[in-house]
Amino acid sequence: MRRCHTLACNGFAVVAKLVSPALIGLAAATVQVEADLRRGIPAFAVVGLPDAAVQESRERVRSGVANQGFEIPRGRIVVNLAPADLRKAGPQYDLPIALSLLAASDQLARTALVGVGAVGELALDGSIRPVTGCLAMAEHAARCGWKFLLVPSVNAAEAGLVRGVGIIPVDGVRHAVDVLEGRAEVATPVVDPGQVLATSHGPAAPDLGDVRGQVAARRALEVAAAGGHSLLMIGPPGSGKTMLARRLPGILPAIDVDDAITLTRIHSVAGLLPHGQPMIDARPFRAPHHTISAVGLVGGGRSPQPGEVTLAHLGVLFLDEVCAFAPAALDALRQPLEEGWVDVTRGMVTARFPARPLLVCAGNPCPCGFDGDPRRRCTCVPGRQEAYRARISGPVADRLDIQIDVPRLDADEIVGTAPPGETTETIRARVEASRTFARERGQVVINANLTPSQARDGCALDRDGKALLMRAVDRHGLSARAHDRLLRVARTIADLSGDERVTGEHLAEALQYRTAGTIARRTA
Amino acid sequence: MSWQLGLARMAALLGRDLQRAARSAGGGARLWSATPSALERLLRVDAVALGEVLALRRTFDVSVERAELGARGIAHVGIGEPGYPSRLVELPDPPFGLFATGAAGCHDVPDVTPVIAIVGSRRPTAFGMRFAHALAASLAMRGATVVSGLALGIDAEAHAGALSADGVTAAVLGAGVDVSSPRTNEGLRRQILVRGTILSEYWPGTEPAPWRFPARNRIVAGLADAVVVVEAGARSGALITADFALEQGRPVLAVPGAPGAVASVGCNALLRAGAAMCEDAEDVVAECPELDWHTVDLEVRPIPSGLDGQIYELLGREPLRADELGTRVGGDAAAIAAALGRLELDGYVIRGQAQRFWATSLRGAA
Repeated sequence: MRRCHTLACNGFAVVAKLVSPALIGLAAATVQVEADLRRGIPAFAVVGLPDAAVQESRERVRSGVANQGFEIPRGRIVVNLAPADLRKAGPQYDLPIALSLLAASDQLARTALVGVGAVGELALDGSIRPVTGCLAMAEHAARCGWKFLLVPSVNAAEAGLVRGVGIIPVDGVRHAVDVLEGRAEVATPVVDPGQVLATSHGPAAPDLGDVRGQVAARRALEVAAAGGHSLLMIGPPGSGKTMLARRLPGILPAIDVDDAITLTRIHSVAGLLPHGQPMIDARPFRAPHHTISAVGLVGGGRSPQPGEVTLAHLGVLFLDEVCAFAPAALDALRQPLEEGWVDVTRGMVTARFPARPLLVCAGNPCPCGFDGDPRRRCTCVPGRQEAYRARISGPVADRLDIQIDVPRLDADEIVGTAPPGETTETIRARVEASRTFARERGQVVINANLTPSQARDGCALDRDGKALLMRAVDRHGLSARAHDRLLRVARTIADLSGDERVTGEHLAEALQYRTAGTIARRTA
Repeated sequence: MSWQLGLARMAALLGRDLQRAARSAGGGARLWSATPSALERLLRVDAVALGEVLALRRTFDVSVERAELGARGIAHVGIGEPGYPSRLVELPDPPFGLFATGAAGCHDVPDVTPVIAIVGSRRPTAFGMRFAHALAASLAMRGATVVSGLALGIDAEAHAGALSADGVTAAVLGAGVDVSSPRTNEGLRRQILVRGTILSEYWPGTEPAPWRFPARNRIVAGLADAVVVVEAGARSGALITADFALEQGRPVLAVPGAPGAVASVGCNALLRAGAAMCEDAEDVVAECPELDWHTVDLEVRPIPSGLDGQIYELLGREPLRADELGTRVGGDAAAIAAALGRLELDGYVIRGQAQRFWATSLRGAA
């Protein structure tokens, strides 16, 4: 009967419509999903630049709809995804296609779809599976003034961060129809991000107090965290470089609500938000393997996906064995490291991803890893070491503010006669105090992001400091860039000790962290 | 005379050394002018190679070759010609000639002022590199020409040290003078060209080969009044240079290493065998007092005070890591780092391998 009614529209095509958000990077665009039924040979066509996953949704929709007790209309079904020039990717259109189909065949009131958006992947039994990027899509729905957005119930928590649109979690096609026609209760999730942050303890981040010895490296880590300075750790295998790096996110200042939402958006789009967790509440730590491609590092793909540099935004990007990374991959880090964002252009779409991680690189002193080790002999051919070290050059070397040596520990330090070091909490308190101090000095950006002129203005050197700086430039042959780096790090050290002026003491310490060793000969 | 240049060309053509063939022939000149049958016997070559050699000899025009080399900034001086370093003539197998490029021609390798060879490991410790650099600078200030092999490590530091003191330095290569090998030293090579000289007995363009390096070492030893071995492992090529020097009756000095130190096994063995001890430039001067040395005022630096002094004293006993210094003197990490920064800046300490800091001598540069 219902099918007949639809087909009786006699040329006044009353097409069933609703909207669905399409992800473009971290933003979204509106896609109109419309279904039309025609007399003719039974067929089910999806048009509007769908990719393979969208094409396959026909089968999922057919099974899902039928298995929830609805009828698949006979005749020719055409589903159009507009605008036709935007590539539609992924299985997220299953639910809107199913709903438009049901409305077109009058199994769902068309009026119930006015101002409604939907997103979700169908299982063959008609239940709804989670999608990626739900937060960004919900934000888009709110911005566009949609009344409701149907989301998979698994994604309800993250969508609940958004105000201004009614989030309707659904877990099946039948449930969705019942909710839309007012037969079922709507459990709109409301999540208060501030509350989540206040009550979260984050993922159990390893504590810096676990690290024994390494006093000098721990101090350098504290300076790096306070100023946001990128870091290079050099040390033999097994000396604890990774152990130290993993503890760096913990001593960075806690994130605020805006940052947490940004992080959640990124991780949701990448499909890395743990199911049921409303948001990312701690700074991320990403350690991509050295075989990663340039695309994997900075982002890309047919529909632009964030790369590791974006996934580590506001957290730590750890490149272990940095000399083993493909030079092309490291070169691709130039734009993100300089600008703090990365543009990924693919075909007709360009997506901009934020990318402001604290870069931490680690490397062995030589290819075999045992150069200078008192117990193991270095087996590298002469000259190979230089070639190896030269690989950390170009854009990455330019951005490394601090270099530290991480020595292999002696037995007694490992076994534990050395007293345990300060805890993450103690150090984070100092880091936060130093950033507060920098703000009170009237500085907006973190020290690592000071421009050369800001660095020179901000570092009011005392006489002792000026003399020392001149000797340093002379003796170590510092380039202009290295000179600015030195000033920025010295500024951070002064902030940590609460000094308005940068003294010779601060500069001398900063000199210990200079990065000359990788690029030029250290002893000259 | 043209045979010196001709033999260098012939050696390049055959890709081998002609010293033995020249000895059998009774001299380089005779080898060059030998009859085809004698040449075949002396060179032990097949008919094809002999044909090439004969063709080369027929068409070889020394003035044309000289002009072509000259256009590329390369001079050649044959044995017996004016400008050939007189010291080399004393060698049992002197090079037939030397190619030279750079600001100073090979005739500027002086016969009167001191010429000191500084050689050592291609894989030195930071301390060895620093020492070689400082020693070369210090000897250059006393008027010496520093000779070495432009290899990685100690050789490179020796050249760089001499240049840093505005001194003259000569590099003897085991390849053509226009061949950049090792690549890492290309920058240094260019600096040497500006103020020093690069020498080789091989035809320009000759690629390095393992057997050419010991042969090169005999020239390094032959040119020098004394040879200083800074760091040498058990089988280091620097020991070959030292052997050549001993054969010539030239003084050999060795820089002592800690007992059993892998990087200094060769040096310590030299010392045991009777080589002179080299702890600074004065030791070299004392070993060759007859040479025309400039006198320099030794600047003795004051001992640093306070925490810096404490640290300097500790490091003078043994190299330590920053962490270890922290436990010994009890300062916090920031204070230790600042002190090390100052000491390093003033040249009191250097950062060596395994993240250890070493104290340097208070007596001038080396």
